[in-house]
Amino acid sequence: MERVTVPGTRRSTAWVVPAIVLLLVVGITVYVGSVPLDSSETRSLAPEVIFTSLWQHVQLVVVSTVLTIAIGVPLGVLLTRSRTKGAGAVVLAAANAGQAIPSIGVLVLLAMIFGVGFWMAVIALVAYALLPVLRNTMVGIRQVDRALIDAGRGMGMSAREVLFTIELPLAVPVMLAGIRVALILNVGVATLAAFTNAGGLGSIISSGIALNRMPVLIVGSVLTICLALTVDWLAGIAERRLRPRGI
Amino acid sequence: MSENPGSSPDTMIYLEGVSKRYPDQGKDAVAGLSMEIKRGEFVVLVGPSGCGKTTTLRMINRLVEPTEGRIWIDGKDVTHVDVDQLRRGIGYVIQQIGLLPHLTIAENVALVPKLLGVAKNKRRERAEELLDLVGLEPATYGNRYPRQLSGGQQQRVGVARALAADPPVMLTDEPFGAVDPIAREKLQLEFLRLQERIRKTIVLVTHDIDEALRLGDRIAIFGPGSRLAQFDTPLQILSNPADDFVRDFVGAGASVRRLTLLKVGDVIGTSTMEASSVLTTVEVDPGESVHRALEKVLAAGAEGVNVQLAGGASRIIDIQGLLTAAAQRTPVPS
Repeated sequence: MERVTVPGTRRSTAWVVPAIVLLLVVGITVYVGSVPLDSSETRSLAPEVIFTSLWQHVQLVVVSTVLTIAIGVPLGVLLTRSRTKGAGAVVLAAANAGQAIPSIGVLVLLAMIFGVGFWMAVIALVAYALLPVLRNTMVGIRQVDRALIDAGRGMGMSAREVLFTIELPLAVPVMLAGIRVALILNVGVATLAAFTNAGGLGSIISSGIALNRMPVLIVGSVLTICLALTVDWLAGIAERRLRPRGI
Repeated sequence: MSENPGSSPDTMIYLEGVSKRYPDQGKDAVAGLSMEIKRGEFVVLVGPSGCGKTTTLRMINRLVEPTEGRIWIDGKDVTHVDVDQLRRGIGYVIQQIGLLPHLTIAENVALVPKLLGVAKNKRRERAEELLDLVGLEPATYGNRYPRQLSGGQQQRVGVARALAADPPVMLTDEPFGAVDPIAREKLQLEFLRLQERIRKTIVLVTHDIDEALRLGDRIAIFGPGSRLAQFDTPLQILSNPADDFVRDFVGAGASVRRLTLLKVGDVIGTSTMEASSVLTTVEVDPGESVHRALEKVLAAGAEGVNVQLAGGASRIIDIQGLLTAAAQRTPVPS
C-alpha cells in the first residue's frame, strides 16, 4: 500500500537524527573536557546547572505546546463552522500579523506589562506558536473533500458526527504538521525566556555572552540544537503513528 | 389524514407542489413540482444540467430544504421531521461515492448501522452480508481501505453502504457518472439485477438518456425552467414523446431504441401477418427484445424468426413482418 511518509521517519533512515545528536553530545563533552576552564566557566558548566537549564527548557516547551494545542485546535474548529466563516478570516489575519512581530519583542512587551517568570514566558510562547496550530487546524478541516461531508450528511450524520467521524480524522495529518512546527518554534523561542528570568538553555547562552566565555556559549547553543533535533525527531515519529491509516 | 395524498399503500414518495427558491437567484430551481413514486418502483430523473433534477432528489432527504410544498415518504409527511433520523432511513449514493478514506470497507458499509446504535458484531455481520450482496468477497475486501479498490468496486461499496440499514428508499445521484463506460454498463446491469432481488424504491438522477431508458421503470424528463416535461415509461417516452423538447432530448434513433424495449412476444401478439414456412429462421424466446431478435437474424443470415411460444407452439415471422408489427405497436397512453 502506498503511503505518504513523514520526512526523516522512514524506518531505514530513522537512526540518522539520533546518531547526529549523540555525536554532538559526545563531541561537546570531549571539547569541554579538553580545554582548561576557569572558575566562572566551571560554575556555569556544572552538571547540575546544565541539567536544571535543560529541564526548565523542556518544561517551557512542553507546557507551552500543550497550551497551544488546547487553545489552537478548538479555536480552529470553531472558526471553520459555517456560522463563523467571516470571523475565521479576521482571526487568521490577526494571527498572521502576530507571527510577523519578532518574538523577543513580544516577550519583552509582555514582561513589561505582566512581569517576569516561568508563566510569563509560557504566555509569550503560546502567543507565538498559536498561529501554525490554528492555521493548520483550519486549513486541514477546510481541505476535506466536500463530497465526503455531503455523503455523511446524506446518511444522517449530525454536524457533530461529521466533525468527529470525517472532518477531524482527515485533518489530522495537516494539524500534526502545524503542531510539529509549533514545537520547533517553542524550542527556539524558549531560549529567549532567559531574558524574563524563566531559565532554560538560553540562560547558559546569555551567561556565555555576558562573561565572554566561548566554551559556555558553545555548550548552550549545541544543547539547544540537540534538543530541537530530538524534539523534531520525536514529533516525526508521533506524526507517523497518529496519521489515520488509509490516507 | 384522509386528505393525505401520500397515504395510498402503493405510494412510496409523494411530492406535492414542491418548490425551491434561492434568495440570490431570480428564477426557481424547482417550481411547483408534484410527483408520485410507487413502492418498489425505479424512477429516473433525467434532463439537461440546471433543470432541477438533483435539487429535486436532494429535497427528498432534505439536504435541500424545500421552500414550498410537502413531501411524503411511506405515508408520512417528512417536511418537518428530524432530518438526521429521516436520512438514516433513506439510502443515499452520490457520484463521488464519498467513501471515508480512513475507514476500512467494512467500517464504511457499517456507518449507518453505527449511527443507529447497532452493536459492533452485528454491524460487522451486516457489512459482510452486504458486501456479498454487491459481489465483493468480504474476507478479501472487508479490511481494505477505499483507495485500494477500483472505481467500480468503490461504487459497489457505495451501494452496499446505502443499503446497510435496509431503507425502503434509495436516492442515487449520478451513481455511475465517475466510472469508465465499460465498467458503467456492467454496473448498470448489476444494479438492475440487484434491484430485482431487493425491490427498493429507487430514485436515480442522470443526464444520460440512454442510462435512463436502460434502468428506469418510469422516467421523469425535466425541461428548461425545471418543468416536468414527461413522466412515463421508457416505451411511452420513445413512442409518444409529450412535446418537441422530449423528442429532441431523447434524440435521434428513438425508433431503433424502442426495439430494445419491445418484447418479441408482445409484438407478434398484435401482428396479423403470417409468413410462409419456407424461410430460414432462428429460434427466439418471446421474452427477448425485438432488437436482440433482429440481431440474431442478421448474425445468422436468416430471413425470419421462429418464436417459441408457451405450450410447445411456435410461430414464424419474417424480418419485414417483425418490423412492421413493432412499428405499429404503439402503447396506449396510460
